[in-house]
Amino acid sequence: MDDFKMTFLKPGLHTTVQDQGRLGFQHLGVPINGVMDKRAAKLANELVSNEINAPLFEITLIGPKVEFSGKGQIAITGADLSPTLNGKVIDMYSTISISDGDLLEFGHPIHGCRSYLAVGGTLKIQRWLNSASASATDPKTFTPQSLIEKSAGFHVAIKEKAEIKSIPSSTRPKLPSQLKVRVFRGPEFNSFTKESIDFFFKYWFPISKDANRMGYRLDKILPHFNPDVEVISSGIVPGTIQITNSGQPIVLMADAQTSGGYMRIANILTDDLNKVAQLKPGDLLGFEIAD
Amino acid sequence: MIYMPYGDSAMLINFEQKIDPSINQKVMALHRALEVSGIAGITFLIPAYCSLTIGFDKNVISFSKLKSTIDSFAKEEMNQLSNNASRLVHIPVCYESPFKLDMLDVMEHTQLSRKNIISLHTSIKFRVYMLGFVAGFAYMGKLPQSLNCPRKSVPRIIVPEGSVGLAGLQTGIYPTEAPGGWQIIGRTPLKMFDHDNASPSLLQPGDEVQFKAIDKIEFDAIEKLQSVGEYELEVCNG
Repeated sequence: MDDFKMTFLKPGLHTTVQDQGRLGFQHLGVPINGVMDKRAAKLANELVSNEINAPLFEITLIGPKVEFSGKGQIAITGADLSPTLNGKVIDMYSTISISDGDLLEFGHPIHGCRSYLAVGGTLKIQRWLNSASASATDPKTFTPQSLIEKSAGFHVAIKEKAEIKSIPSSTRPKLPSQLKVRVFRGPEFNSFTKESIDFFFKYWFPISKDANRMGYRLDKILPHFNPDVEVISSGIVPGTIQITNSGQPIVLMADAQTSGGYMRIANILTDDLNKVAQLKPGDLLGFEIAD
Repeated sequence: MIYMPYGDSAMLINFEQKIDPSINQKVMALHRALEVSGIAGITFLIPAYCSLTIGFDKNVISFSKLKSTIDSFAKEEMNQLSNNASRLVHIPVCYESPFKLDMLDVMEHTQLSRKNIISLHTSIKFRVYMLGFVAGFAYMGKLPQSLNCPRKSVPRIIVPEGSVGLAGLQTGIYPTEAPGGWQIIGRTPLKMFDHDNASPSLLQPGDEVQFKAIDKIEFDAIEKLQSVGEYELEVCNG
């Protein structure tokens, strides 16, 4: 079969190639990277009959403009950023057949923050340390193909015709803008005052403008917070909620550094972290203990 | 050793919370033991000063199963591995202009001459306690009290690649250009993090490091040799 090609006429706000991340190099200080909303990414890959961990495109709030050449299949999951094909609204969570010359565009963000675009077949891309994910450190040098810039082009080796699938609307993930997530107590939980802890579980925390793939700073300060416990730098995992010395919580995400020295109040459970990945500045986040 | 859940897909093992070579040696021994253990489900390891973070796939192994598996072999393996001395890596550093960006500030803080600062920095075998901050950044210690100086009050937006800095009782090398507040006293011509290499970091957690003062001419020569793959790193296996 012929090569299927795609060209990014516009890159969008922040479009990257991601897969399940760069696991196994964290002892060298290499961040994990990888898709922020793992569930949405897996669904997109399933819809085009790819391996669930195959590299795909993560699109943030403002989508790219993509031109295809040749015939193939795509699927879009995650945030609804008003995708259209040749100007017509397309169904998310469904396999979409692509013809030569088709143009994929995105419009207004309706809900969620990150959309996933999977392309049926094998995306031809250079890997670094076993992963195609854009590196958080110096992406232009380490993973030049994975940070999408204007005119970026990809070849896709397509398989035999794969089946058309659709996920029923009743089972498509909802992406609320206000969300309570389950957490485990963090390593320094017992060093926080009762007032700080009560506040943490009682109130909603707005996502600040300083929210990206490395971490989300939250726009509310913990009261009665005395950072008098010295934390010796220690490993960090995505989902960790650390509190800076001024009392500001930061939720660490996929591109976070591998170590840190702030007090860690809690850790968000993996399944719930996928939902946090869909929050954007101004949305609200609350916490409850998981038992 | 205290085992703690660290979310639902990681475990944190805390050792005595102290920056101490003998404690860090235990962390590294457990890290190495787990690296070769072949325990199914471990996804990554982050050894630090006095803790080890272990990522795991909860669909393959549970927290309690992982804990009991580590418990069952940890003590034995660690005693054996703690005795294995680590490698000693010699790293050339040019403490001259234009690399010694903060040497004057460090001289003022420490009340030491440039010559004394260099001789202290090159006379000690430092330990790589952990890597973090950016890929390949080695946190090394411990500096003698006489070299103790605070981080810069205003961090630099860009610290050049290879810069060698001091912060408190630690010393470190910027493996790539990065923002940072460490006091820069020199630069190494060595590529500390080579993304083209399958093993990209020159330093590994648990290594010992000794710096060696070189002049600008040697700096340029080493840089040139390294760029064509002909520089031979000085490493002793202890």
